[in-house]
Amino acid sequence: MKHPLLSRVSLIYSLSVRNLWRQRRRNTILLVSVICAITGVVVLNSLIRGMQLQMVDQVVYNLNGHITLHAPDYRSDPAITRAFIEDSNEFERKLESLNLAGWATRIKIPAVVMSERETRGVQIVGIDPVQEHISIVADLPIEGTFLVDSADNRIVLGRALLTQLRTKIGHRIVLVMQDINSKSIEVGFQIAGVYDSDSEGMEKHVVFVGKDALQQFLGSESITELSLRFNTRLIPPNGLETISHAFPNLEVVDWKNIDPILAFMYESVNAMVYVWLAIVFTALVFGLMNSFITAVLERTQEIGLCKSMGMKSSLVLYQVVTESLIIMFLGLIGGLLLSWGVLQLLGDGIDLSAFAAGVEMLNLAPKIRPAIVWQDINIVIVATVFLALVASLYPAIRAVRLDPLVALRD
Amino acid sequence: MATEILTLTNVSRIYGKEATKVLALTDVSLSITKGEFVSIVGPSGCGKSTLLNLMGALDQPTRGAVHFDGNSLGEMSRGELTDLRLQKFGFVFQAFNLLPVLTAAENVQFVLQLLGFSRRERQSKTTEVLDALGLADVADRPATELSGGQQQRVAIARALVGEPVLLFADEPSANLDSTATRELCELLRQINTDRGITIVTATHDPLVMGYTNRSISLEDGRVVEDKSNP
Repeated sequence: MKHPLLSRVSLIYSLSVRNLWRQRRRNTILLVSVICAITGVVVLNSLIRGMQLQMVDQVVYNLNGHITLHAPDYRSDPAITRAFIEDSNEFERKLESLNLAGWATRIKIPAVVMSERETRGVQIVGIDPVQEHISIVADLPIEGTFLVDSADNRIVLGRALLTQLRTKIGHRIVLVMQDINSKSIEVGFQIAGVYDSDSEGMEKHVVFVGKDALQQFLGSESITELSLRFNTRLIPPNGLETISHAFPNLEVVDWKNIDPILAFMYESVNAMVYVWLAIVFTALVFGLMNSFITAVLERTQEIGLCKSMGMKSSLVLYQVVTESLIIMFLGLIGGLLLSWGVLQLLGDGIDLSAFAAGVEMLNLAPKIRPAIVWQDINIVIVATVFLALVASLYPAIRAVRLDPLVALRD
Repeated sequence: MATEILTLTNVSRIYGKEATKVLALTDVSLSITKGEFVSIVGPSGCGKSTLLNLMGALDQPTRGAVHFDGNSLGEMSRGELTDLRLQKFGFVFQAFNLLPVLTAAENVQFVLQLLGFSRRERQSKTTEVLDALGLADVADRPATELSGGQQQRVAIARALVGEPVLLFADEPSANLDSTATRELCELLRQINTDRGITIVTATHDPLVMGYTNRSISLEDGRVVEDKSNP
């Protein structure tokens, strides 16, 4: 009984393995170079992805959320007059089907803060501390005490602002702001505590007060933003559209619109990952091709013999391609395992605190933690197979074109 | 009545172009009958290997036609010629030409794998042919560890295992001593008589020629004599 396909596949596999083993020193070097290239791509991409996602985390974490909802004109003129009604039951109902880590309602308006000695422009953020488990507020190191609840009528400042105002915890400061009737009002707050942040900008310009207390001072029951944070690091597909549909009268803004520079950097990093992959794999393809051409040239007579005995050109082609695929497959497995090992070693992240200023400017966390994006791994796998085919195709065609007679004479 | 299985009609083979043109064969016409053991003889460069290659569908004539079983090789595609070589012809080359990465048995199985035989059939046929040629004890040895005589016998086993109609042997004794040559010739004659396989061998060795039952002599690419051997 004949099994042509099985029999030929077995022949090709066995010849390919033996031929690779015959030149084991050269092929080991080739394999090591493939492993190194794949490891380099995966590890560096994971670091770049980690950096990229940490940038997003920072933006999302920094009182923005993945998505923020405002009254239509609020972003051009952030005042309490451009607010919307807080209806927790409606929010709950509309948001319950989404995979959210949580949501927070806030009032964010500009104000002037005055101490006995200094005056500064700030952004007042009226919050409900219970809802702020989704933002940086929950993790800020506090000296003194933080706001107890939404009705707390004290204030929490950043340490840099406290220094600028030359005041102390427990002292009173005055905030000047516009109320719901666009009239300037002055409200005195006692300083409950001081927070520290990696961002000096935040410390200087953001102050926290209880949301309900602020509403009372402003004469409004409205809020200026509803901030949403998903359980995922990025907004799930269709997340933005779903929310826009649920809140047709509000302006729905994602983190990319909140921080367009970061969004540009995020997209640039995407491109960088693929450019890096292309550069490494292009360099590798020439090395592989050179090696496979040498292998074919060394076996000219054997290939001629096989063809003279009736081995079809397609089988000759498959044999060379199979050799390449075997090397690349082993390289891929080795590369992924080595990458895993290296990423385990880098699990705690790379400490960038020595470059604090640059890190803050780029919205990075002080430690870069690698992040594995499975889509990138899939691309590496597909690219490796593609590379194996590209690198072996020319040598394989050369082998196919060998005239058995001429090859035998060689 | 004897059946002609291979015929060459006014076959010429020219290598190179105008300035470097070499006439390897000129106007050769002959036929090979089923069951013959034919030697193509003549001095080096007379066109023996060229003629053998044309007969074995490894090369195409510049002029003239080669027919196997009534089919013109010139009208066959490259793929059809490959299939013909695989299914109908067996080859034994001067330099043994075993695949060095395979064992003796695997070299023999190679043809059976191309033909698509199952593993069990391959093993059974390989064992049978290796036993018949006295190679059972070297079956698992790598080709590179075999002596010249053993390698040539493995090459013959490989050529035979696919049960070809025609066996071509190009200077099969070129790298063998006289004892090994005699053993090889006995083996070829046995294959010819016992299995009825037609054998065409190119040789300039009188010893090999003595074992064949027909000799075709070439000189400068022309057939100068075609005689039956006693």
